[in-house]
Amino acid sequence: MSSASLNVEIRRIRELAPGIREFSLSRTDGEDFPVYSGGSHIVLSLPLGERPHRNPYSLLGDPTVRDTWRVAVRKQEESRGGSRWLHEQAREGMRIDISAPVNLFPLIRTGRRHILVAGGIGITPILSQARELARLGADFEVHYAYRGPEYGVFSDELEALAPGRVHHYVQSRREQIEFGSLLAGRPLGTHFYICGPAGMVAASMNAGKSLGWPESHLHSEQFLAPTGGEPFDVKLALSGKAFTVPSDLSLLEAIEQQGVDAPYLCRGGACGQCELEVLGAEGELIHHDLYLSADERASGKKIMPCVSRLKGGCLTLNL
Amino acid sequence: MSTPAIKSQPVYAELEWDRAGTHHILFVAAEDAALAQRLLSNPPAGTITLIHLGSASAEARSCWSQGLPDSALYLETHSLAEALEVLRDALYVAQMGTRIYLAGPEDAVWQASRVADGFGVGRDEVRYAQLGSKARPVFCVHCRTITRGVHTNIVSCSGCGRSLFVRDHFSRRLGAYMGFQIDAEVPGEVPAAEVVYP
Repeated sequence: MSSASLNVEIRRIRELAPGIREFSLSRTDGEDFPVYSGGSHIVLSLPLGERPHRNPYSLLGDPTVRDTWRVAVRKQEESRGGSRWLHEQAREGMRIDISAPVNLFPLIRTGRRHILVAGGIGITPILSQARELARLGADFEVHYAYRGPEYGVFSDELEALAPGRVHHYVQSRREQIEFGSLLAGRPLGTHFYICGPAGMVAASMNAGKSLGWPESHLHSEQFLAPTGGEPFDVKLALSGKAFTVPSDLSLLEAIEQQGVDAPYLCRGGACGQCELEVLGAEGELIHHDLYLSADERASGKKIMPCVSRLKGGCLTLNL
Repeated sequence: MSTPAIKSQPVYAELEWDRAGTHHILFVAAEDAALAQRLLSNPPAGTITLIHLGSASAEARSCWSQGLPDSALYLETHSLAEALEVLRDALYVAQMGTRIYLAGPEDAVWQASRVADGFGVGRDEVRYAQLGSKARPVFCVHCRTITRGVHTNIVSCSGCGRSLFVRDHFSRRLGAYMGFQIDAEVPGEVPAAEVVYP
């Protein structure tokens, strides 16, 4: 059910800023990578202990460079180990598996103008989008916000792509994006894309909606890391398995550990691919995803096992 | 409003203002006093631009010019080409937050829709209403000519002269229904045409 995987070697690791590392990857079979579109991500399988740990990361390089793919990883202090492994254990020459690219954050090619906004490490999909727009000769601008001057890690690459069209907002200098003025008075046919912290994404979406922007022109991407939580019991009705999800595993990971093939794509609560049907829940479903609608959550019939859990007794799934 | 047998055939909902919009461009190519009254008596917040296609000889004031809010801009035009040009100008200066309403016979509505497409607007920014004549624009799948104002189920193509059967299969991009040669199997065997699109 999962997408095809490629085996790659970590060719180069660059320290971009405190807590931000860039990895350059090449295929171990010597073949070229497939072409991908701006905004795509891949899922890295990281060898943490006896089980692989899978995290999504946006591809940030030039899609036409076929021998190397690049991802940038911020060390999450609250991490359950994925980003910490990449920061502390990963070495050049190591081999890992990655998924084929998936794009949940594509550009709308019919747009007349494109406003790209990145907050912190959210620059990674924005960078590949900017590259694609530059290649198409499209009308675009980039707004890049980060904590301090040393965190503007892709500023030079962006400036080279879009001279004069990159705007910087440095938090330590009290510079901030005012979404109300950024989105006001834009010509018909403008598209807005944002990747960044949840609060920033929500502020921009609210500003757009209050200015009458339709949903079809407001695009965002966020990946959530599974947060862990209290252990709970699971019964899989079709495969007849019963087990406990420990506090440091996601529901999806626990299902995979049982040898049951469950669908997934992004593993970050964004895409909807891993949706499972809830047959019974003794307790409260704790939804962390960005996919289910309020009505779907209220129905109690669906769960996204990559990030969501149960608080209480036993969860029965149609799997 | 019946469900069409063919998925591509447009279904028109009752025209309503989209009150999330901050500017409203209304393009009307037919008279409909009841609809005009209903819409204009309860206008949305934000400015309204009304582009009206009237006939060159019309002396009576259009129902669309009556009851307009004072802040609205009313633009009278006398040919479809002129109306589309005025629409293009309005969209050129329009900003995000604009909603577009296209009302009239399908030929005018979908030619206007194509103008809007050129400005990169999404489907959630445009609303459609079919008013006035039910005549169809028909695209000849053989010579690619569009024959306009077709009231009958069979029509002679204005480009190649073939007898075309007018299907319900509709192209939004072309703004026309597909027409294909009805006597391709047995040349000359053409049933009598009936008026089905008054």
